[in-house]
Amino acid sequence: MKPSPLDYTRASSLDHVVELLANATDETRIIAGGQSLGPLLNLRLASPRRLIDISHIDELRRARIEGTDLAIGPCVTHAQVEDGELPDVTHGLMQHVARGIAYRAVRNRGTIGGSLAHADPAADWIATMAALGARVQLRGCRDERVLEIEELINGPLSTVIAPDEVITSIRVPRLSSGARWGHSKFARKLGDFADSMAIVVVDRDRSFVSGVLARRAEPPARLPRMIAALTAPDLQGAIDDAIDSDLKSLRIEAEDVRLHRAMIRRATREATR
Amino acid sequence: MKTVNVRVNGATYARTIDDRLSLADFVREHCLLTGTHVGCEHGVCGACTLVLNGKPVRSCITLAAAADGADVRTVEGYDGDVVMAAIRRAFNLRHGLQCGFCTPGMLATAYDIVTRLPDAGRERIKAELGGNLCRCTGYLSIVQAIEDVLTEMRGNAGGSAARDQIIANEECMP
Amino acid sequence: MSGFGIGASLPRLEDDRFLNGRGQFCSDIFLPGMLHAAFVRSPHAHARILRVKKPAGLERQVFAAADLAGVGRIRSTATLPGFKPSDWPVLANDKVRHVGEPIAMALGSSAAEAEDIAALVEVEFEELPAVVSMWDALKADAPLVHDDWGNNVLVELKLEGGDLARAKAAAAHVVERSFRMNRQHPLTLEGRGCVASYDGRLDELVVHVSHQLPVPLQIGLAQVLGMSQRRLRVIAPDVGASFGLKSYVESETVCVAWAAAELRKPVRWIQDRYESLVCDANCRDYHCKITAYADATGRVLGMECDVIVDSGAYSPWPWPAGIEGGLAMGNMQGCYDIRAFRGRAVNVVSNKPAGQPFRGVARPLSCCGHEVLMDAVADAVGIDPLEVRLRNFVQPEQMPYTSITKKMIDSGDYPTALKRAAAMIDLPAIRNRQRNPETDGRLIGVGFACFYEQTAYGTGPFGYSAWGIELVPGMEPAVARLTGDGELIIEVGSHSHGQGHETVFAQVAHEILGIDPHKVSVRFGDTSTSPAGTGTYTSRSMVTTGGAVAEACRALQAPIAKIGAHLLQCKEDDVQIRGGRVVGPSGNVELAAIGRAWYHHPEELPDGLDPTGLTATAGHKAHDPGVFAYSAHAAVVAVDPETGGVEILDYAIVADCGKRVNPLLVEGQIVGGFSNGLGNALYEESTYDELGQPTATTLADYTAPTAPSMPDLKLEFIETPSPFAAFGMKGIGENGAIGPPAAIANAVNDALRPLGVAIFETPITAHRVRAAIATARPKARS
Repeated sequence: MKPSPLDYTRASSLDHVVELLANATDETRIIAGGQSLGPLLNLRLASPRRLIDISHIDELRRARIEGTDLAIGPCVTHAQVEDGELPDVTHGLMQHVARGIAYRAVRNRGTIGGSLAHADPAADWIATMAALGARVQLRGCRDERVLEIEELINGPLSTVIAPDEVITSIRVPRLSSGARWGHSKFARKLGDFADSMAIVVVDRDRSFVSGVLARRAEPPARLPRMIAALTAPDLQGAIDDAIDSDLKSLRIEAEDVRLHRAMIRRATREATR
Repeated sequence: MKTVNVRVNGATYARTIDDRLSLADFVREHCLLTGTHVGCEHGVCGACTLVLNGKPVRSCITLAAAADGADVRTVEGYDGDVVMAAIRRAFNLRHGLQCGFCTPGMLATAYDIVTRLPDAGRERIKAELGGNLCRCTGYLSIVQAIEDVLTEMRGNAGGSAARDQIIANEECMP
Repeated sequence: MSGFGIGASLPRLEDDRFLNGRGQFCSDIFLPGMLHAAFVRSPHAHARILRVKKPAGLERQVFAAADLAGVGRIRSTATLPGFKPSDWPVLANDKVRHVGEPIAMALGSSAAEAEDIAALVEVEFEELPAVVSMWDALKADAPLVHDDWGNNVLVELKLEGGDLARAKAAAAHVVERSFRMNRQHPLTLEGRGCVASYDGRLDELVVHVSHQLPVPLQIGLAQVLGMSQRRLRVIAPDVGASFGLKSYVESETVCVAWAAAELRKPVRWIQDRYESLVCDANCRDYHCKITAYADATGRVLGMECDVIVDSGAYSPWPWPAGIEGGLAMGNMQGCYDIRAFRGRAVNVVSNKPAGQPFRGVARPLSCCGHEVLMDAVADAVGIDPLEVRLRNFVQPEQMPYTSITKKMIDSGDYPTALKRAAAMIDLPAIRNRQRNPETDGRLIGVGFACFYEQTAYGTGPFGYSAWGIELVPGMEPAVARLTGDGELIIEVGSHSHGQGHETVFAQVAHEILGIDPHKVSVRFGDTSTSPAGTGTYTSRSMVTTGGAVAEACRALQAPIAKIGAHLLQCKEDDVQIRGGRVVGPSGNVELAAIGRAWYHHPEELPDGLDPTGLTATAGHKAHDPGVFAYSAHAAVVAVDPETGGVEILDYAIVADCGKRVNPLLVEGQIVGGFSNGLGNALYEESTYDELGQPTATTLADYTAPTAPSMPDLKLEFIETPSPFAAFGMKGIGENGAIGPPAAIANAVNDALRPLGVAIFETPITAHRVRAAIATARPKARS
């Protein structure tokens, strides 16, 4: 199908974006790589009257270390991450995740910011950024704010980003040298959205332990009891019980419990090996 | 409506277009280069894959307006390219195409694989082809064709011509 | 030039245009002043249309049923007893019977504009309860898809043979299995589409359409449009795959053709993928229940089967629903020497798109039926799945063999094929491996599938006429013409959309005339210039069209030899045609000299030459019962009991399609067919909710195999020449697609055996595997 009629504007700088958004309504959408929004436009599932293309703004495609964070521009592509162009602050986790997103042609255009703003819960970056404790910087015409992933995303395909706001940076805290991670993903086919994905990060030097389960059509779920079990030095058996306990508190169909448990266990083992 | 200037296969096309026109439809209808095919318009099947500013992309979910000022290479734009000639030869010898509809996208991806991943083994090749759907060949002949080209490029004779081609490509990029 | 004839793996001559982006598909045709069509489609599975309201100011660009003056309905009949014909309206008038059924056509100056206009058309509906599944259709109080039918049964067929009562009485084991094959989508990469225009000079309506059967489409379109065939030209250009999808008279083509004739402007419709996934989800959707009556050694004495096919809302023209039920039932006994049989096949209608045959056509179901049943007999008797098959096969010395369902199998060595396939996967090593747990916790399983494929069958009682359909294929034509410069043009009535006809028929010409295939053009697909065959389907073209091409080339030998002998001043008996020349005892002339004499200097021709000259028309009558290819498949899988994921560790195919004209292309057909079968087995399903709404409407939901899904296949060939085809060849196009669902299901169930669960439904998704395991005894699971 072809999109509904629309107006395309190319923004030349971040200030220009903010200026264009000043009069924005619900019918204005920002487009970066277009890999999430493009199909919606073609299927007429999204019919914005106005598109603002932010993908030609150089400063939004850069990533640099700022203090203890890696500040990633929203228009950094999955391919840039896959190819190791970014300083590696996650011991290769981000590079590993990037490589499993869709296909190379999509990765060449798709952006981290776009993926987060689109908020498909099965998208790899949502769960990964949540697991890393990343924060998202937003700028609107009046002010700026910084949100955790769980604050940014309030439902499947739904965020709190206001019509006049744009993501300006994704800040990923640098993992300590002794930090470890585990990532386990099950999808129907290579490159698909995951039916189940678990990411576990253990960074004891920063007292940071996180575990996230991503599923289709549900927001990423934290695994508090598993995290608690991992935080305290303990036996594998207690961790397995903690995982089961976390799963019970989530709405999961009987036949899917084994799948999610397997993903979490495999990610946990990888992170604690 | 917008006026865009897009360089396609080395020639500049200045056209006034509907803002919502895809890059795929632009090259097909405005440049009359129908080798790029549209198979799904949701970025999954890969039939529309062409090269934008040196990288393979889905032209069906790229707006032509977003390609204003960009450099595009379609399947029709590889005259004299030694690497593509080798890929085409290998596809023919290994029967890597049947109905031909997925082929231009497959060639774009094959080109990307052999130039970006010269050490790719069979499993990596299969993984990199995962974004190009084919219903006719069952893929194995395409994988074999790409393996053949990589082997040829690693060898001395065909290899250096191919490596020179890759360097020449990079020098042409904006 | 021995590398170019029958048996040569000649790389395809047609590749050049596709590799260089010069293919010409329907969507590549641009005509001045062309209008674009978009369709207003039903959002409901079953509803009465109360009103169609056109957008103000755009009424002349919107066409509903009442506007299509002179256009009839698509009505597919069959002489099968009890068959109920359905009227398939070109645009829905009183009722819509599936989501996506077209109600109106909007025309615009671009596809986007046409869609904008279509979106403004308002339709008022009265929703009706929908018949979604075959079970819904069969309920006593089911809503009626066709109001005047009385029920939702399109046709019920029965088939009986032998003494089943005696088999039942003698049976030591009675084993029953059911199998469900869910609805799928053919998922051709190029969707459907057409471009129609009126040619004022020839007074012809020219319809370019992505289609595999140009002549049947011409016949059917002319009937519906109420025009003479002489004035309707159908051209199928390059077609981006079909597999059976593009083989019927389509509503959209009728509308577009009508509009082009009415408005005297070119009109184009190119289907988009969303539209396709909604409207063309029209293949498979079967269920069978099969029972085997076996003796104590595992010999199956008799078989019963009950087949249900959900044919969607309408019968396509010319392939009425009913074919699939009949084929499923008629092939249910498989490669086995079963002497008593009772079968029943019921085709029902439902509120889903009209069912259409897709690569394999019912045989994937019958293969699942007999292969799953064989494993069940093996279990009951306590013997190996390999052994039970060897005991039941029709043996080579029994060939030719007429089955209890009247299949006249010409040749085949099933035991050799199966044993070889088992050896290729190293069966003893796998059985050994299965004795110990895997370090990663996965379960290993082996499965087999053996089947024959009846190909290239003919008109008669064991062929198409048994289906009682509107258009029975007959003789297959070919025309061969030597040009003035000694090259060859071959025109055929088949259509090549991936099968490589431009190469294989040139190979046939080379075999007979010695001409270099690179100097041969093979042309097809245009009802005004191609001889009238019926197109390409049911794996027949190599045998039937190939046979006709061989005959036409043979018919050219006489005039070529006669002219050549005359030019060489020697006797006709003393010349040979070889290497692109006519060779005499003391000299030779090129074919170009022959052509020059005929076209430029007839005064140099010999007396008594047939004035037909260098153009030969020939036909081929297929051997009515068909020629029987066959295969043995062996699959090794690993099942992850936690995720339900199935990985194919090894897969072997031993295939016999007689003499392979081009082994490289035959391999391509098998590997490609396998990928379709793999999709059938593990991935592909067109799903519907309880209201009949399709839920797999994008490629994010409908999954098909990609390169990483494919195992590295092991292929071997046996060549048992068919006595009934030129050069001993047989069809092979659908072979690869038939076996995988059965082989993989058997392998998965072999893997799940320790858990005491099994799956008899495709696709065998991870979700289904997990659900099955969830029902297993807890002790077995841990």
